[in-house]
Amino acid sequence: MNLPLLTIIVFLPLLGAVTVALLGNARATAGRAIAATVSVVDLVLVAWMTMRFDVSAGMQFVEKVAWVPQANMTYHLGLDGMSLTMVVLSALLTLLAIVASWKTGKNPALWFSMLLLLEVGMNGVFLAMDFVLFYVFWELVLVPMYFLIAMWGGPRRQYAAVKFFLYTLFGSVFMLVGIIALYLQTGTFDILEMAGAGLDPSFQWWVFGAFFLGFAVKVPIFPLHTWLPDAHVEAPTAASVLLAGVLLKMGSYGFLRISLPILPDAAAEWSTFIAALAAISIVYGAAVAFAQTDMKKLVAYSSVSHMGFVMLGIASMTPEGLNGAVAVMFSHGIVTGMLFFLVGMVYDRTHTRVIAEVSGLSSKVPIAGGLFAFASFASLGLPGLSGFVGEFLSLLGAWASDIPVGWVIVSAIGVLLAAAYMLWLVQRVVLGSPSAAVESIPDLSTREVLVLVPLVMLTIGVGVYWDSLLRFTDPAVRSILAMMGGA
Amino acid sequence: MSMDYVLLVPLLPALAFAVLTPMPRTVRLKLVPLAVGAVFGSLVLSIAAFLAVWPGGQQLEPAWHGVVTIAHIGDRAISLGLALEPMSAVMLLVVTIVGAAVQVYSLGYMHREERIGWYYAALSLFTAAMLVLVLSNDFLGLFMAWEVMGLCSYLLIGFWHEQEAPRLASIKAFLTTKVGDLGFMLALAVIYAEVGVFDFATVLGHDWSAGTATFVALLMLFGAMGKSAQFPLHTWLPDAMAGPTPASALIHAATMVAAGVFLIVRAFPIFEASGIALTVTLWVGLGTALLSGLLAMVQHDIKKVLAYSTISQLGFMFIALGAGSPTVALYHLVTHAYFKSLLFLGAGVIIHAAHTQDMRQMGGLARKLPVTSLTFAAGSLALAGVVPFSGFWSKDEILAVLLHEQQYAAFAIALAAAFVTAFYVARLWFRVFTAPTQQAELHEGHRSMVAPMVVLAAITAVIGFFGPTLGGFLGHGIPWPAFGTAAVSTFAAAAGIMLGWYVYGRRKSVVNTQVIKQRFPHAYGVLVNKYYFDLTYGYFIVGGYTALARGLASLDANVVDGIVNGAARTWRSLAALGWAFDRRVIDGVVNGSASAVRAAGARMRTLQTGSVRGYQTLVAGAVVLFVIWILVKGA
Repeated sequence: MNLPLLTIIVFLPLLGAVTVALLGNARATAGRAIAATVSVVDLVLVAWMTMRFDVSAGMQFVEKVAWVPQANMTYHLGLDGMSLTMVVLSALLTLLAIVASWKTGKNPALWFSMLLLLEVGMNGVFLAMDFVLFYVFWELVLVPMYFLIAMWGGPRRQYAAVKFFLYTLFGSVFMLVGIIALYLQTGTFDILEMAGAGLDPSFQWWVFGAFFLGFAVKVPIFPLHTWLPDAHVEAPTAASVLLAGVLLKMGSYGFLRISLPILPDAAAEWSTFIAALAAISIVYGAAVAFAQTDMKKLVAYSSVSHMGFVMLGIASMTPEGLNGAVAVMFSHGIVTGMLFFLVGMVYDRTHTRVIAEVSGLSSKVPIAGGLFAFASFASLGLPGLSGFVGEFLSLLGAWASDIPVGWVIVSAIGVLLAAAYMLWLVQRVVLGSPSAAVESIPDLSTREVLVLVPLVMLTIGVGVYWDSLLRFTDPAVRSILAMMGGA
Repeated sequence: MSMDYVLLVPLLPALAFAVLTPMPRTVRLKLVPLAVGAVFGSLVLSIAAFLAVWPGGQQLEPAWHGVVTIAHIGDRAISLGLALEPMSAVMLLVVTIVGAAVQVYSLGYMHREERIGWYYAALSLFTAAMLVLVLSNDFLGLFMAWEVMGLCSYLLIGFWHEQEAPRLASIKAFLTTKVGDLGFMLALAVIYAEVGVFDFATVLGHDWSAGTATFVALLMLFGAMGKSAQFPLHTWLPDAMAGPTPASALIHAATMVAAGVFLIVRAFPIFEASGIALTVTLWVGLGTALLSGLLAMVQHDIKKVLAYSTISQLGFMFIALGAGSPTVALYHLVTHAYFKSLLFLGAGVIIHAAHTQDMRQMGGLARKLPVTSLTFAAGSLALAGVVPFSGFWSKDEILAVLLHEQQYAAFAIALAAAFVTAFYVARLWFRVFTAPTQQAELHEGHRSMVAPMVVLAAITAVIGFFGPTLGGFLGHGIPWPAFGTAAVSTFAAAAGIMLGWYVYGRRKSVVNTQVIKQRFPHAYGVLVNKYYFDLTYGYFIVGGYTALARGLASLDANVVDGIVNGAARTWRSLAALGWAFDRRVIDGVVNGSASAVRAAGARMRTLQTGSVRGYQTLVAGAVVLFVIWILVKGA
């Protein structure tokens, strides 16, 4: 039996999305049950692949079919440890987002349909090994996210949604140029075939720049990040979770899957520049997060800071740095996912995200308060929890690399600043005496606890036993570095 | 016999934490005995482990070790290991004895607290982390345990988080120590780049060049200064006294704050390879020991006196390290752990009885709290360095090492610090126990609180006689005190106590300290303002960073995002201009193609309105066109 597993994983949610949409709001209860089932099946399939995954082999479960032979375009899906890590994140967070938004009352059919459509795009991006396919999924992601923000968002949702859409589109136009340039140069759209093609360094340099713009907006790297806080603040909880948890990783994934293996000479030339921007993102994001008065905005800026560690690791181009980058991507996905879920759960009850209006969660709602504190400590990189693994490895890699020591030290200071904004948030929101808004709210429901528990377990599991994650990422990292010519 | 039971030593309290934490408050409350049982289990196993290592000596092979590889990266592996050798065996006893004493004591001290279950959970996690730290056989594991201890310290300082002072103290403690931790973390990065692994044997056996060794050692020293509250990273520890007193006894007196000293003991060969780092350590210790001792003289809060005293005593340990004797530093660490936790537990009874921490409102407690006053006396004499109490022996060794190394200036400063120590001890004692009674209704502590103090007092009274034994066990000699240094240090201690008695202890003619304050207003001002460290940090670092963060946030909203919005606006205007150009100029000139242009213009207009559907059409169109072009080209 040779099922096209990857195709199923990508397109099953599409089937679900269409079904849920066709059922309509009148049969939304059935619709959301279908949405949940589809996302559970997807996650089970991903879990099954995780168990079957052979860490000593490269690309697995590969499906490669001629698509447009005239242009050497193939329908090419593949899975390595890095893709797997990201697909786990995407499938898990989609399911949790569906469960967390179970009670959505406004246009539920479209809501669950859009969440599933988003999963199609996210899974597709991480599995596509052909540029055209990759680009289609990349752009596909924008559509459901646009609607999630624009239709279910806060007061400034239109502005935020359009800004998110246009900003990313602006970046991806450059990416498209890069893709076309690469195609014209190599005559193929196959991402894996292009790797190690030995392209002319000066050609590499500007193609790298084009991809850089596309990916940097998505990550986002300072100063291309300002769409992020707006999008996060206006987005509904589930969309924020997926935006921070998965969509941002598409950018850094692009660097790892495309920029580094295909354009290694350019990557070496650009590395100091990227490291500098990474260090600035880390410290700048942390400082701006510290000054925020809105919980969601604070977490949004913390993402800018954390994603800086991803870019620092990538810029180091060392095994430690790249593993660290993927580890931060994964950890940030689950930990920031947790934080956004919690902020959303608190918002559902208090109807405010203003930090000054929420306090004393731990006294009044100990489960919510305790998990909030837990997520905060994971976020600030406490050893033993997942956040530490990636940030520490990124720093180790950066220190051992050619990155100027100054930028590494600046980045390390980011660890301290993360503790500052996170603890200052805990101080005001979790600790202290309950504020009026918190006075009579109920604690988390069983459904809400169930959303968070898997994330808590993963955070501890990865944080204690790093290899639970690194056994998948390290082979992928090795092959990236091998494609770069053993750099 | 398999010695894997050593693994249980940290595991038992860790399990207690894991069981207690997820429980609801009411269930946790009932599980407190479980936590106490766990630490006693660890204590028993630690004694067994200690006996298994006995008689110690300079063993090369640890009596037991275990290692687990947690990460494979490229062709390298990152492992965490635990090992039982003489030093960790001694530390296991210190941690579990003080830990057990504190947990029993807390049953009485905290029994009215609704969240006592959480308190015990945090205490258990701390104990587990500290036990991992002392057993760690590599710098990474040590660092990870170190950080978890920082978390527990944060949680326990902020135990009464509904009040503002504990809340602020907890965040201050976490962040200040984290400043030091950056140094430790960067040291790990350098070690990794230089050696490639973290285990003690390989790292310490590495052929360190003096320059790299200095770099690593200074980074580690910075980390140790944060954790062990050395100047200028000391300001968090006095504030940390806002936490429950027994937690202060365990964490902020006996164990966690000593972790910095322990780190340097572990990394000592790197410090030796550097040389310069030892000198820096010495002077950090000297400065801290004396300056902090002076601050203890002007505090009125009994816990703050003890906190500054702890900082000062940790300074003494740094002095020993800087002078080149890690064994003596460890010796003082051990004696200090017992007598200082004893003093803190005594302070807890006093605070419970007097309902205040202000010594000016105490007095005459000796008669009301007989057991506490006796045990407190033992601790005080040990701290002051009076024979035969434990502090005398270990402090004497530190002075002897300085003399032996011919560090005469350092010897003089350390001696002055010893004198100051004796003075503030006497000040505390006479004010609290013999000064005129101010309160009528005072009660001795509950049995559960008194018993641990008696045990610690007994240890404090006799442990000094085992110095040479300890030295032999650790594989480095600790000699009996030489008569000369013993005489000098005893003289300093006696002088300090006498002066304290003269000022605070005499029944009839107590010196009016107001006069001293008025005669030396500047000196007194400097001391009560704690050398302006807190003010400076608060104003420049906290204030500066807050202002910077606000400035950057406004820059982000107005400039960085402003450029984005400005670009969007400009584009919109350009599009409008193009539309106008279309309509007026081109439309006017080329009448024939007017309809086509109008259609184009209409398309342009959808662009400027920011309609996303328009853009989607555009992108979809572009992709379709591109695909068609490729097809055509390919064919």
